[in-house]
Amino acid sequence: MKDHLDDFIGKNRASFDDREPSDKVWKNIEASMNFGSRGWWNSVILWRAAAVVFMALSIYLMIPRQVPKPEDLSASEFNDVEAFYFQEISEKVELIDGFQRNEGLNGFTQDFKQLEAMYEILKEEMKARPSQKVKDALVLNLLVRINLLNQQLSKLDKEDGEKSDDEV
Amino acid sequence: MDQPGLNIHDDLIARCRTGDRDAHYRLYKLYSKAMFNVGYRITKSEEDAEDVLQEAFISAFRNLDNYRGDATFGAWLKRIVVNKAINALNKRKHELIPDVEQWDVAEEDSVTEYREDLTVERVKKAIEKLPDGYRTVLSLYLLEGYDHQEIGEIMGISESTSKSQLNRAKARLKEILDV
Repeated sequence: MKDHLDDFIGKNRASFDDREPSDKVWKNIEASMNFGSRGWWNSVILWRAAAVVFMALSIYLMIPRQVPKPEDLSASEFNDVEAFYFQEISEKVELIDGFQRNEGLNGFTQDFKQLEAMYEILKEEMKARPSQKVKDALVLNLLVRINLLNQQLSKLDKEDGEKSDDEV
Repeated sequence: MDQPGLNIHDDLIARCRTGDRDAHYRLYKLYSKAMFNVGYRITKSEEDAEDVLQEAFISAFRNLDNYRGDATFGAWLKRIVVNKAINALNKRKHELIPDVEQWDVAEEDSVTEYREDLTVERVKKAIEKLPDGYRTVLSLYLLEGYDHQEIGEIMGISESTSKSQLNRAKARLKEILDV
């Protein structure tokens, strides 16, 4: 039923939006968003950038140079550190999998998989040419992964809350 | 739907994603008035419409990473506003469409004539006098530009119920306007 009313509203559509919200709406939004205190530590973009820089650094470390003389690397100490971070990572990965079981690969997953692959390569490097630098790179890889996971978890947590709000 | 072009605010949205306060404010200023009116038409309360507007913008800003640009930003934001407004309305009323009114109403083929010339002010006041369910369907269809399938999804009713509600709403509106 396309009638006179449809045409009238269509022609005068803009005039129907004549009400203005009060200033307090923006003030409340601004207060909730906390723009000023959004620190670099909480920025997903920065942490993703850190992951990319880290991957580049790892590649640089693996370019064959002169074989370093064996250093005094405490293997058991490193194994403890690795086991600790592996435990943390697997717990967080399980949580994230629970959140996004039905979603495909996204930027986060790709970054994370690349970091995992890089770790395996660094481990091989550690076996072949152990050095403090490679050991540091391995620990840094684990730390970057944990931070990426933390960011993703807090993002998913927030989205989960918003989603239940938006559903009618 | 309400803004020309699909990605005219891409730069602004990209700046918002970095946490830029000024970009958020500019996006708010661009859409707040239109979205406030969308919320008001559904809730018929300025107070509720302001709450809806606030919640919708906070939700949109926090979920900007989920906005993929498939629709205009305005259409994406409007859907959030409409959902929140209907939630607010449902909190006040138990059901938007009473069971007894869920029967189909035949479409009228004849052109509807109004006793007096229509003016924006008269039509707006008449729409406000409609019951919640009628007002919501009529606003979503005639003013917000949704089709019956979309209205069905938004309100959790069938497409045919949306059509019959629109016909009933128009008939009621004519009665109000002709008084």
